[in-house]
Amino acid sequence: MNLTKVWAVQCDDYIIDLDWSPDGQLLAAGSASGPIEVFHAADGTKRLSAAGHEQGTNTLRFSPDSHCLVTGGQDGKIKYWDPLAGQDITTVDIGKDWVEHLEFKPNSTLLAASCGKKLSLLKSDGSVSKALPDAPKTISSLAWDPQGGCLAVAYFGGITLWDSDDWIVQKELPYNNGINTLVWSPNSRWLVSGNADPSVHLWIPSEDAELHMSGYEGKVKHLSFDITSRWLATSGGRDACLWDCSGDGPEGREPNMLPHDAPVCALAFQKSHGILATGAEDGTLELWSPERKNPLRATVKMPAAATKIAWSPNDTFLAIGSTQGIVYVLKCEA
Amino acid sequence: MAEGPIPVTVLTGFLGAGKTTLLNRILTEQHGLKLAVIENEFGEVGVDNQLVISSDEELFEMNNGCICCSVRGDLIRILGRLLKRKDKLDGILIETTGLANPAPVAQTFFTDDEMRSAFRLDAIITVVDAKHVSTHLDQGDESVKQIGFADRIVLNKTDLVSADELSALEARIKSINAVAKVFKTNNCAIPIADVLNVGGFNLSRATELDPAFLEPEYPFEWAGAYALPQGVHELVIGHVDHDHEHHDCGHDHHHDHERNENELDLVVIPTASLSETDISAARDIALKTFSDWERKVSEGESLELGATLNRLELKDGNGRFKLEIKNPGFYLVFEQCSEVPLHIKVCSENVRPAWQQDYHPAHTHNEAVTSIGIHQAGELDGKKLNAWISDLLKNKGNDIYRMKGVISVKGSTKRLVFQGVHMLFDAKFDREWGTDPRMNTLVFIGKNLDRASLNASFNACLT
Repeated sequence: MNLTKVWAVQCDDYIIDLDWSPDGQLLAAGSASGPIEVFHAADGTKRLSAAGHEQGTNTLRFSPDSHCLVTGGQDGKIKYWDPLAGQDITTVDIGKDWVEHLEFKPNSTLLAASCGKKLSLLKSDGSVSKALPDAPKTISSLAWDPQGGCLAVAYFGGITLWDSDDWIVQKELPYNNGINTLVWSPNSRWLVSGNADPSVHLWIPSEDAELHMSGYEGKVKHLSFDITSRWLATSGGRDACLWDCSGDGPEGREPNMLPHDAPVCALAFQKSHGILATGAEDGTLELWSPERKNPLRATVKMPAAATKIAWSPNDTFLAIGSTQGIVYVLKCEA
Repeated sequence: MAEGPIPVTVLTGFLGAGKTTLLNRILTEQHGLKLAVIENEFGEVGVDNQLVISSDEELFEMNNGCICCSVRGDLIRILGRLLKRKDKLDGILIETTGLANPAPVAQTFFTDDEMRSAFRLDAIITVVDAKHVSTHLDQGDESVKQIGFADRIVLNKTDLVSADELSALEARIKSINAVAKVFKTNNCAIPIADVLNVGGFNLSRATELDPAFLEPEYPFEWAGAYALPQGVHELVIGHVDHDHEHHDCGHDHHHDHERNENELDLVVIPTASLSETDISAARDIALKTFSDWERKVSEGESLELGATLNRLELKDGNGRFKLEIKNPGFYLVFEQCSEVPLHIKVCSENVRPAWQQDYHPAHTHNEAVTSIGIHQAGELDGKKLNAWISDLLKNKGNDIYRMKGVISVKGSTKRLVFQGVHMLFDAKFDREWGTDPRMNTLVFIGKNLDRASLNASFNACLT
């Protein structure tokens, strides 16, 4: 398997978030210090370059129709940008706390946004369509189920599942520790949290079942499911730890350990194929095929650790953000 | 760019004590440091080039609301984010609200692995309003905790109280926290070097402690050495004429302990010389003897010399007894209470002691929160020490606010340095002892601490 550099661009600071436009034409990058940039995917030319958010940008997302980019920052604001025109459309002042999480409802322009404990749902023009009651603690992750019928909201102490039709609580899933991240399996069966204790907790909300997988070296901050919903990749140590979620799930099964020499700090499965990309703090990037006898497919050494790994919508390009503020786009060929 | 973990300074203190004044002072002084301030209110300070982040004090209670297991979620989030900035910081200041318990802030730097590796809790600084703190201490728990947790105490607004009030206040603060350095200020005028990067959280230099605090405590308050000839001499207790001098120790005693004024315990031990070695040998015998069964001595009877606890029976605080000396030489008299006049008469003439010393009395505290120190030579058995500390944390963790120390562990050439907050404990070997004497120094600050039991447990760990 071949990985070749297509382009690389130096941004202002630590790449806090990356997102491909769903049509695959653009790549957006946010620096921790605030600046936001949008690049043409093919050659890295800049389509948008802006100061972003005062005190720092936290997150960014393209709308499902690729026409709009939204960003959230430490200034308590959400900004809407026109990526092709290269300018901002509107700014929404949502609260005094940090806007840390933005997630579009699948195939919709409805945006879920968290600001501290506050969760708001915004329309495409930035107007607030619904403000939900405050979470008990600061919201630490948001995840729409793949059908868009339910929004999972995590905070220290548990997860609330909101029904996205009538915005009533479907379920409360208590968890007595910090939750760093959430992911749904593509078939909507599993909802998984990566936790501070450190562990991974798996729920099957439709069956009121849950599993707990512990034994990690450090906090689990990154989770990714493969398209078949079988493989769950998790960080939390020097190995990317891969759980088999087929059937009744990983309980009692040995995980596949995909070794790195340093703690794993980023990982992502391809969107519709089976390759997993993992990055470690020593700057190593590896590609794996979990079902192969020798799963390691490729290794690249980068000058700095990856902060974010994102596959292009067609799974051909791999975008990597680094701690030194460089965005790399690599082409992945079999 | 600073190397290694970033030092974190925590500012506590009641509303109005002067926290904001101190913060402004730190931020505006030309120290050339790049600092980030995490404060609980908006817009209190705002200074160019310094980063000010406001936050609510969000508690994460790990274990059914147990305060020992609470950490500050907002700090984990904010500090984690600060690490991602390209300009590395030289320091971080965390201001807490007046009513905040400092424990969760400190615990955040113990329990969270990332916080622990990236940051170093440098010191907890408590600003105290000299005018109002007494009222606060009388009223509530939080100000006592803030003083108990402190590494440095800025006793501010000293111009608003008299010198007497100030020294009483200082004594009260010391009785709660004997370890913290106290700075007396107006308008929080204190050199930045005394509050930033002071390494207050670990006790790497035991000598920074008040030596008086670390002196062992004795069951007697005074000892005097008398050169006595052969013969039967008189020992007079009380019977004070006003013109008449008594061994004067030069400081005030506050006697809160309940002593029957018609009893006085004495131990008389012969000593070959007044050399330090001989005196400390005699003192150690006296120390043991004071916990023996007493021998009652009535008016006119002879005291027993050597390792016997003589309990003199007095009448209205007065009594006359006999000292039968067979071998002339020096005799050390250890007296339970230094306030009671004691004279030895040879042929009706008072003999002046050839040497005398006051001993640190067993503390009597009015405060529920106190400090207890152990300072002793010797080597500790690692296993026993471990067992003791785990037992202590399990059973007393809730009451122990802070503990720190330097320990000499048998078999190691390095000093074991430890610190703890409630049930959380951190120990590591630091530098070689080298030519330094292998002294153990331990300090506990907390509620309802039992000195005798801490001492006994410590002694049991000695090899």
